[in-house]
Amino acid sequence: MMISAEEHRLTNQESIILIAVICMAVVPHFTHTNIWITLFFIATLGYRMAAILLPQLLPGKLLLFLITIAAVGVVVVNHAQLVDWRVAVDLLIVMLGLKLLELRKRRDLYIMLFLGYFTIASNFLFNQGVLLAAYLFVVVVGLTAILLETSRSRSLQRPLKTVGLSLSLLLQAVPIMVALFLFFPRLSAPLWSLGIDQQRGTTGLSDTVSPGSISELIRSRAVAFRVDFEGAVPAPELRYWRGPVMWESDGTSWTRGEPLLQRQMKYTAQGEPLDYSVTLEPSGSRWLLALDLPDATPPHAVMQPDFQLIADKPVTQRLRYQMRSHLHYNTGDLPASERRRALQLPANITSRMRELAQRWENEAQIQNHGRNENHAAVVTGALRFFRQQPFYYTLYPPLLFDNPVDEFLFESRRGFCEHYASSFVTMMRVAGIPARLVTGYQGGEINPLGGHLVVRQSDAHAWAEVWISGAGWQRVDPTAAVAPERVERPFDIDFDDAGIVGSPIQFTLAQSGFLKRLARQFRLGRDAVNASWHRWVLGYSKQKQGRIMDQLGLGFAKGAAIAIVASMLVLIFVIAALLWYRGRERVDPVQADYLRFCSRMARMGVVRLPYEGADSYAQRITEQRPDLKTAVDEIIRLYSSLRYGEANDAHGKSELHRLVRAFHA
Amino acid sequence: MALSFPYRKCRADKDGAAHVAVRKIYIFPTRYGLLYGLLVFLILLISVNYANNPGFLLTFLLAGLGIVAMLHTWRNLVNLRLLTGRAAAVFAGQPATYEIRVRNSRESERPNIRLRLPAHDDVEMDLPAATTQSLTLHIGITRRGRQPLPQFKLSTHYPLGLLRAWCYVELEMHAVVYPAPGAAMPLTGDADHHSLDYKERSGGGSGADDFIGLRQYREGDALQQINWKTYAREQGLHINLFTVSSARSYWLEWDSLPGMKTEERLSTLCRGILDAGELQHEYGLRLPGVEIKPASGESHRHQCLTALALFGKE
Repeated sequence: MMISAEEHRLTNQESIILIAVICMAVVPHFTHTNIWITLFFIATLGYRMAAILLPQLLPGKLLLFLITIAAVGVVVVNHAQLVDWRVAVDLLIVMLGLKLLELRKRRDLYIMLFLGYFTIASNFLFNQGVLLAAYLFVVVVGLTAILLETSRSRSLQRPLKTVGLSLSLLLQAVPIMVALFLFFPRLSAPLWSLGIDQQRGTTGLSDTVSPGSISELIRSRAVAFRVDFEGAVPAPELRYWRGPVMWESDGTSWTRGEPLLQRQMKYTAQGEPLDYSVTLEPSGSRWLLALDLPDATPPHAVMQPDFQLIADKPVTQRLRYQMRSHLHYNTGDLPASERRRALQLPANITSRMRELAQRWENEAQIQNHGRNENHAAVVTGALRFFRQQPFYYTLYPPLLFDNPVDEFLFESRRGFCEHYASSFVTMMRVAGIPARLVTGYQGGEINPLGGHLVVRQSDAHAWAEVWISGAGWQRVDPTAAVAPERVERPFDIDFDDAGIVGSPIQFTLAQSGFLKRLARQFRLGRDAVNASWHRWVLGYSKQKQGRIMDQLGLGFAKGAAIAIVASMLVLIFVIAALLWYRGRERVDPVQADYLRFCSRMARMGVVRLPYEGADSYAQRITEQRPDLKTAVDEIIRLYSSLRYGEANDAHGKSELHRLVRAFHA
Repeated sequence: MALSFPYRKCRADKDGAAHVAVRKIYIFPTRYGLLYGLLVFLILLISVNYANNPGFLLTFLLAGLGIVAMLHTWRNLVNLRLLTGRAAAVFAGQPATYEIRVRNSRESERPNIRLRLPAHDDVEMDLPAATTQSLTLHIGITRRGRQPLPQFKLSTHYPLGLLRAWCYVELEMHAVVYPAPGAAMPLTGDADHHSLDYKERSGGGSGADDFIGLRQYREGDALQQINWKTYAREQGLHINLFTVSSARSYWLEWDSLPGMKTEERLSTLCRGILDAGELQHEYGLRLPGVEIKPASGESHRHQCLTALALFGKE
């Protein structure tokens, strides 16, 4: 009695390969799942591998049941209050672990493979990077190769060939994937919510600034956003990307304070506008970044009176928006309420801070010969103070305690941009000049391969704005006074070299060794791939799809249906035609000529018998038709030598062809 | 008229080969294929809900893989040729075997070629490029006569096991089913209807040859062979019969087995042929309307047994 294929036990080799590929699919989850889940999976894995050597270790039904209860317990305990997507993923991993223990037969193998595909999909909920996608494609190739091998009657025992076949099948599926991706209708609202939208731990600007908050951010090489300029890219020192504006200080940290009264936003632009589009990475907050100063509001966003762009909802998905900015501007008058807030001071202003401000005012008065419009001169004086006194720009500033501004200005004098900016704003306010703290990004790196600008978290920056009568709000960057390189060159610190507290930052020079250039090229190349991935895959939205449909002259739902059906039909036809072409039977020309000869003979009344070889056929012909002997002998001799002999020459083939064509009764 | 499902079949052409034509192939997901469809749908739901574009890519890649697999499954069968091979003769009740030769004239392998008779298990193989290989189909229970090969299914699960393509094949092929061997032939009988007509021994009654029985005396029988003991008991004149290793010639006759039903007679004759063949005797067979002259050897045996197999059937 035959055993049906599904009941076949898996060989050790099959089990090991399957387990390895499944592990490849699960491993990316280890970066975010609970440690106990990870340990559970690794434990089941180890146990299963041991069971390959000692099959009696495979657990029975009761033990498996108990382990299942324990595993579900681990998941529940670790998510006591939380019911969201992560629970589902943890359960999935636990299930995979359990299924590993149960893996014995063909049937289990299919279940395992499908769980593997599902695990791959679940990875994308946590990370959508191009690197992970490429890695997971490799895993898909692996899983599909196992499917291929399983569907054969006997194992091929040539893993590379199977993997190649799997890759070839998947590549044939790619055109279908692209067509479906383009035309499958996208929704703008989710079907249900399991709380995945609240992304945790995303780095980005926050709505408070305290000493150290930005220097923490700049250790991250993560991309904050990318910009495509329509015209020329402005110079680095003009690339100030405006983020949250801070109005209120409690002496240690800065916050935005009360919302400003809404008013008509107007400023006088000086010079040509700059058009560009920004692709913002998900930040979990509502800030939309734009060049100082924005002159447009993206959809589903508002512009605050302090020129911040705020989206209606936190940015949890990559967002692309068109922007227009003016680099030179005059914001005009300052309403009384805003002036009051721009002069707010914390309680911990020390006397030496007041003295310093007073000194700057006096110097300005002397400079301006007693004229009253000395605010601009006070600003210059303050910047001169930062430049001339021994201030250092460092990522590792000494810790500051109760009164960071005072301590920084008079004692430590080592700090990062938020130290400079916040103390500058405080001092301006002490000197009676309306000022506010602006956070955002500065600079960014142009990717020569993609032609776009990449702004990273490491480009995070803080600067000051002061209101000067007649000129309006003016940007002042005290950091530039201390470390002008910060503003002029891409900010690219070698963090490993700068670990000592208080050590000044060494800015990377553009030409610093072949290896560094190579590393930089590599990084730029990777970023170009990333940018395309973002633009064409991650950024493909309902809006973009709508635009494509419009260009094709199709409506939304009906159009999508037509497009999907039409493209599928075309693609299936093309693939089928290619397969047909590759698989068509090539008739050997020698055999074709022989068959033609046979059919001519048949018309003359000597039909070749199915079992009859060429020689015996020839003999029978000559018995019946002695008159044809010479011609038939010649043809049969040539045919035999071409087909069975060593001779395989082109000349012989064409000769046979000629003879058969010329053969007539 | 019987209601028949109007499906397409691959029938043997005049050369006896059945060609799997493009439009004779059916295709349907296996249960794993249905599960796979469910999986793709689930991933699609998740991707739609979270507007997850890499998830969409994966969904559509897997969907595309399914569609491509459909073409490949179909392609794995199309243009195959099935030819008849040997169909070994068997005795009634034994399984009949049919050798089916599958010809792949393509320059690529065709893995997982399966044949299946209704109510039987699949037999399968991987068919290498440009070759002809055989699979053997079995029919479990057989009855005397010509057992034709029923319509069978040619199918494949390759390349992913998610889809099954199949077609129905009819080949002109028969296995001859001999009668099941019955009880041994009675050795004695009427002079006109004796079942075993041994060629009498030329030598005397001694030697290594075994005494196997008596028969009535006929004119011309050698005196040395007369069994005097039976004659003394007044049971009539008989002669001794002995087996010998050298060939003897006799007839196996339908008419020597009166009072039996047809099948029983045939079974008994079948046994007689087998025994005679084993003893390497020459034997002939006489059935109503059939006479096969005494001979020996494998093909003679087959001829006789076939005559029994087909008796009254054609």
